[in-house]
Amino acid sequence: MKLEIDESRCKGCNLCTMVCPYRIYRQGNRPNRRGIYVPELDRPERCANCRLQELYGRRLCGICALICPDQAIRWVKEKPYEPMNVVIEY
Amino acid sequence: MREDWLRNDRLPHIYCAGCGNGTIMNCVLEAVDKAGYERDNTVFLSGIGCSSRAPGYIETDSLHTTHGRALAFATGVKMAKPSLNVVVFTGDGDIAAIGGNHFIHACRRNIDLTVVCMNNHIYGMTGGQGSPTTPIGKTSTTTPYGAVEVPFDLVDLAVAAGANYVARWTSYHVTQLTEAVLNGLNTPGFSLIEVRCQCPTSYGRRNKFREPKDYMDFLRSHAVLKEKWERTAKPGEELPAESFLVGEFVRRARPVMGVADET
Repeated sequence: MKLEIDESRCKGCNLCTMVCPYRIYRQGNRPNRRGIYVPELDRPERCANCRLQELYGRRLCGICALICPDQAIRWVKEKPYEPMNVVIEY
Repeated sequence: MREDWLRNDRLPHIYCAGCGNGTIMNCVLEAVDKAGYERDNTVFLSGIGCSSRAPGYIETDSLHTTHGRALAFATGVKMAKPSLNVVVFTGDGDIAAIGGNHFIHACRRNIDLTVVCMNNHIYGMTGGQGSPTTPIGKTSTTTPYGAVEVPFDLVDLAVAAGANYVARWTSYHVTQLTEAVLNGLNTPGFSLIEVRCQCPTSYGRRNKFREPKDYMDFLRSHAVLKEKWERTAKPGEELPAESFLVGEFVRRARPVMGVADET
């Protein structure tokens, strides 16, 4: 699982920076195309839900997605890690 | 999944940055989803105001009705077809000001509705006029020297008028709010969940809560848990200034109207 902020919906209220127990969200410092300072993700792999949702089979925490007034935060499924085969060309 | 209930073609919504109504919408949808409601037999109703735009972003049947009359329309929907699940979004201007009579009589009849009142202490959509729930001393465009009238306590009103389930939470307490809405959906009879939320544009700007975070901090520090207060308060002790009780106020089983099995 991976955290994702939808930039087309976020209005930059920074409520997520206040509620996350791991302080994963940081205030953004660069305006996007619409002039909104979208929060940045600071090492999002620390998120409890991202790590443990598959293991527990239910949503853990999830406060940021519930408190986001613009429905901009969600989790997306990630493909399982696959080691890449490096082809060496001679 | 909560996302399945949203109308993605209508988003992003028109609420201001940091408005609490979006948070409450999330919690209600989460609770509706947990209660296992189907999209075909759930109806969302609303009156007029910022809060009442919420059903427009939800992909079910919905009614956007006249100011204050959402509960009258909801009564009609529920009595015409008691198998429907009816959820009403209202604001404080709807339920406490112009629709006050509809509200107390819906409580008295104990119709099987779930009412979520998004109380932002002000008429936010029309430019920040003082509402019946503006606290004493707070500034709005119609009370430039501070409100002087005692605000309405919607929870006490609903308890006195006879609602079956009454709770109050804030937009900061999202998990508890989801739980309360779920309890309200599962309780037969009238259930009111009052949610205090922030309005950074109209209320916060005039009352030193300019950032959404400031009012969230206020809600967190001034919300007193009802159970804890009853356990620890000395006899005759008053709540600290500007504090308010949160929690489940009443849950009872008075005779109800509009439940499918009994009609």
